Amino acid sequence: MHSLRYHRPGRVEEALTLFAKGDDAAYLSGGHTLLPTMKQGLARPPEIIDLGGIPALRHITSGDGHITIGATTCHADVAASEAVIKAIPALAGLAGSIGDRHVRNRGTIGGSVANNDPAADYPAAVLGLGATVITDRREIPADDYFVALYETALEPGEIITSIRFPIPDIAAYAKFRSAASRYSVAAVFISRGAQGVRVAVTGAGARGVFRAQNMEKALAKDFRAEALANVRIDPATLLDDLNGSPDYRAHLVAVMARRAMENLGTTQSYK
Amino acid sequence: MLNERAFKAVGRPLPRKEDLRLITGKGRFTDDFSMPGQVWAAMVRSPHPHARIVAIDPKSALEMPGVLGVYTGADCDRDGLKSIPHNPVPSTNFDVKLTGRNGTKVFIGSHTLLPSDKARHVGEAVAMVVAETRDQAYAAAEVVDVTYDVLPWVADTAAAAEPDAPRLWDELPDNILVDSSFGKFEETDAAFARAEHVVTMRSHVGRVTGVPLEPRAALGHYDAETGRYTLYAGSGGAVRQKREMAEVLNEDPENLRLLSFDVGGNFGTRNRAYVEFGLVLYASRKLGRPVKFRAERSEAFLTDYQGRDLVTEVSLAIDKDGKFLAMRASNLSNVGSRCVSLSPLSKGSGLITGSYNIPYATLRSRAVYSNTMQTQAYRSSGRPEVTFAIERLIDKAARELGFDRLELRRRNLVRPDQMPYVNAVGSTYDSGEYEANMDRLLALADWQGVEARRAEAKSRGKILGVGFANYVESSIGTPKERADVIVRRDGVEVVIGTQPAGQGHETSFAQVTADLLGVPFENVTITLGDTDVVSAGGGTHSGRSMRHASTVLALASEDLIAKGRALAAHCLDVPLDSVMFEEGVFRVADRNTFLTWFDLANRAEDKTLPEQLRGGLKVRRDSEMHTPVFPNGACACEIEVDPETGGLDIVRYATVDDVGRCINPLIVHGQTHGGIAQGVGQALWEQCAIDPGSGQPTSGSLMDYGMPRFDNMPSFKTQIVEVLSPTNPFGVKAGGEGGTTPAPAVIMSAVEDALAEFGPLDFEMPATPFKIWSAIQKGRARRGSPAAA
Amino acid sequence: MAKVSMTVNGSPVSREVEDNMLLAFFLRETLGLTGTHIGCDTTQCGCCVVHVDGRSVKSCTMLAAQANGCAVTTIEGLAQGEKLHPVQEAFHKCHALQCGYCTPGMIMAATNLIETYDGELTEEIVREEMEGNLCRCTGYHNIVKAILAAADEMRQPRSAA
Repeated sequence: MHSLRYHRPGRVEEALTLFAKGDDAAYLSGGHTLLPTMKQGLARPPEIIDLGGIPALRHITSGDGHITIGATTCHADVAASEAVIKAIPALAGLAGSIGDRHVRNRGTIGGSVANNDPAADYPAAVLGLGATVITDRREIPADDYFVALYETALEPGEIITSIRFPIPDIAAYAKFRSAASRYSVAAVFISRGAQGVRVAVTGAGARGVFRAQNMEKALAKDFRAEALANVRIDPATLLDDLNGSPDYRAHLVAVMARRAMENLGTTQSYK
Repeated sequence: MLNERAFKAVGRPLPRKEDLRLITGKGRFTDDFSMPGQVWAAMVRSPHPHARIVAIDPKSALEMPGVLGVYTGADCDRDGLKSIPHNPVPSTNFDVKLTGRNGTKVFIGSHTLLPSDKARHVGEAVAMVVAETRDQAYAAAEVVDVTYDVLPWVADTAAAAEPDAPRLWDELPDNILVDSSFGKFEETDAAFARAEHVVTMRSHVGRVTGVPLEPRAALGHYDAETGRYTLYAGSGGAVRQKREMAEVLNEDPENLRLLSFDVGGNFGTRNRAYVEFGLVLYASRKLGRPVKFRAERSEAFLTDYQGRDLVTEVSLAIDKDGKFLAMRASNLSNVGSRCVSLSPLSKGSGLITGSYNIPYATLRSRAVYSNTMQTQAYRSSGRPEVTFAIERLIDKAARELGFDRLELRRRNLVRPDQMPYVNAVGSTYDSGEYEANMDRLLALADWQGVEARRAEAKSRGKILGVGFANYVESSIGTPKERADVIVRRDGVEVVIGTQPAGQGHETSFAQVTADLLGVPFENVTITLGDTDVVSAGGGTHSGRSMRHASTVLALASEDLIAKGRALAAHCLDVPLDSVMFEEGVFRVADRNTFLTWFDLANRAEDKTLPEQLRGGLKVRRDSEMHTPVFPNGACACEIEVDPETGGLDIVRYATVDDVGRCINPLIVHGQTHGGIAQGVGQALWEQCAIDPGSGQPTSGSLMDYGMPRFDNMPSFKTQIVEVLSPTNPFGVKAGGEGGTTPAPAVIMSAVEDALAEFGPLDFEMPATPFKIWSAIQKGRARRGSPAAA
Repeated sequence: MAKVSMTVNGSPVSREVEDNMLLAFFLRETLGLTGTHIGCDTTQCGCCVVHVDGRSVKSCTMLAAQANGCAVTTIEGLAQGEKLHPVQEAFHKCHALQCGYCTPGMIMAATNLIETYDGELTEEIVREEMEGNLCRCTGYHNIVKAILAAADEMRQPRSAA
């Protein structure tokens, strides 16, 4: 790995100052995105600002119809949180389905959402629940947050501090995983709540996570699996790789959406 | 010679002696060793599949922090380093004789440590950088400026065999290095001509890689004072690789010490020397410091010796009653950019007729060069490929001709009364009960319950598929082995030249020795892996180890018992023929006196002993055994396919394996389990994929190369059968590779069974969900069904 | 360079290391605890699993600096002197290791699973929860047996019958 300088601030303001003074610094949270990238030599930030030492960023709070999760909360803690299990079980289940046990003990929601990997799970929940990404300087609604492949609305140096999820009436997540990477080839997060019906697809889109508006319309009229019988995603917008063709992915999206509807209130993982 | 009733350790599932250090973090793997003052090597690797090396400019690299030197093929040539003498053409008495075209010698193509002419595959090392730290070496390797003249390349096996394919070696008119034919042509042609049915199949058993979890590492040190080289490197045969490196360095083998202690998996990947073994020794001599190398996993994916990659065309001539009359096969093996071992092609060649009595066969065996990493033996080298060919061909025959696939096999199995059976390509199967094993397996697998389970799976929306395969495989291996057996006052030490990487030799060889000498298992230790102690031996591959070890130990124990009797006679002052060796002690007839081995070992130190009895209670024995053995068995599995996604689960997997005498069932079952996983991996997930447009390998990490894991493998039902082989004292066959041999065939047989309603399979392994789903769509479209829901 | 201080296998350690040093290399090279192994470069194989503050983590994907102030347990710290941990015993009895390379990480993962999993451990659950550890030698069959046996042993009520 390249040489670097490591910082571990205790407060968000300190982190921002370090970033402003620094030279091409990168934030570190759970490290399960940044460190592998650095080990491959694909990123060489000369400075690392570890957000893991900022207590204010690690919390799970519920109130006023929302669950708010601090950015450096690890997946294992979200999965085990009584509050999340009670209010949004599909979200707890999604967190518990990421990677493996050891990854879940370190990987964080902030890290995942900041990275916006096209096959990551959390973006589907954030978009699928209509959550709000709260940063050190503003609040960004989910619909404005995911811009393109690995690209988000975050400005350089902007730090996600927490993510606020509205508690839905009901939600579900179904994913089909790749045999090797264990990332999703196609996964669908569905919720119905104050914002209506939302359907977010990850793993399949060529530009990252997206909302399946035709599925949303069908389910808004009739919130049952059967309503999706003839609703298809356009393969033209989907990924084509060894895991599958766009047609296959389009088909998988339909299957995962239907299975999410058949298992409301849960997360289902297939391979 | 063997008194089985006296066996106390042999045959028992004893937990292993090697475990304690491995479960407490005290293993001794190559990267665990360091030497004072050591520096690090990194390789500069070709990004091109095929390119002339025009120039290598080390200037920028030499300016990087910590860099001590940059070495190229030109440096190696100038310093007189030789090619690695891989000796790839199998040459034991019973190996199929492979030749170049028209009986010519096989053109090998030299394997210098670093090439000075061309890079012939992506990832080939073209230069080495040495620096104070590993990070510095890798960073500097990135800025070594290599000028390449890019050449046309070919990676695909069949394409590489075409006459106009881009050529890797100027010495050959094309890329074909082996083209030999065997068998009885007239009789085979006649049988085909008169046959009621002929079934033909073509398949490509693709390229996979071993993925031992310990990445390659090497630590080399040249001691200028003693003039000796020391190399720590995980190996499949320290003695062999010591000799090879000595030849590369122009040294007397006695000036090289190779140390290979705990090895984190081999499976064939470590059976041949790697360039870094020689390069770290060379660099150490140049720099006067120890030099260490440790591969990244991505380097391992790119440059570990890979496995399989056989295109096979097979035909079976069958009479109206389903009797097999003759077989034709044409096998094309992709050896990669250099020839490191032809074992996969030759081993497979001897077994094309499988478990069946097929009177006549012809075989054309060819090997081809291509711009890919070199291949060599990998778990059951060559046998899964040919087992796949014959078993899938029989499935096809059954399906097309309306026979039951089990009955068709049963009708044609080699019978016990035919043993020893010479097959149509000249292999002599030593012993086996093939039909009995099939019956045992069908019971173990609960074949009767399949249809009920199929219906139950259907009620859950899943499609059940059941697969079946017989197999026979061969174990030949390097024919020579040596054992030193030394009795000391506190225990027996055996020094032997096998090279385990998890097979448990410290335990199973101790069991054999303990029972041969009548001493407690706890008192026997096995020494391996340090060539200053281990003077000779054949390494570990091809299931050879227990057969050769038990044989040489049986011979050595005879010698030792004779020595013991002579010593006992002297110590007790009685005639030699009144001394008997019984139940582990030396007893005098009609007297209540006996001496244990350890009493004798004490006495053996006595300096007043007559000349011929001096020197300690020890023997050295060499053995040479060419006769191969043929482990065999049967296998069945059940899978459940989710037709909506193409995903599948393996829900049952059963095997019956005739391993000959089973020394330690715990160890042998473990070998079967691991072997199964490697074969299943090839069938479902594993592939060394290459992008057809660029020639770049695309499965370069565990993100792309699917592996057997806890959650995609089932638990197994494995049964050991012991039909003793008449070829060696203990009757051992081999137990390490039978799990893998039928696995690709049995999985694809199950996949085809699951997808039967959609038509015959038209895709190759690995059977990914995408391929399975696509086959279902095609099948439905052909039938005119509505498109997939 | 920075000073990192942590407790490793119950003993406090404090060293000056490069900022880019990963925890796995801190353990192997700085402290000489070579029981923790490196098997891959994509955080997938699990050979490097250790416990940090009671959680199993992949030490190849953590900077040593991130473990500052933490309690780290490696394979070398599991046995109590001569007395093996029940998971180590179970691996030995069930032949859950062959080459031994994945074994330290496997044992650390299994131990943490048994200690922290909320619920009954069945074969299916063990297979799902151990997804983060690869083995190339055993085919997993015996490891599953060992983990279930150790769980039985470790989760038995301690009170006398």
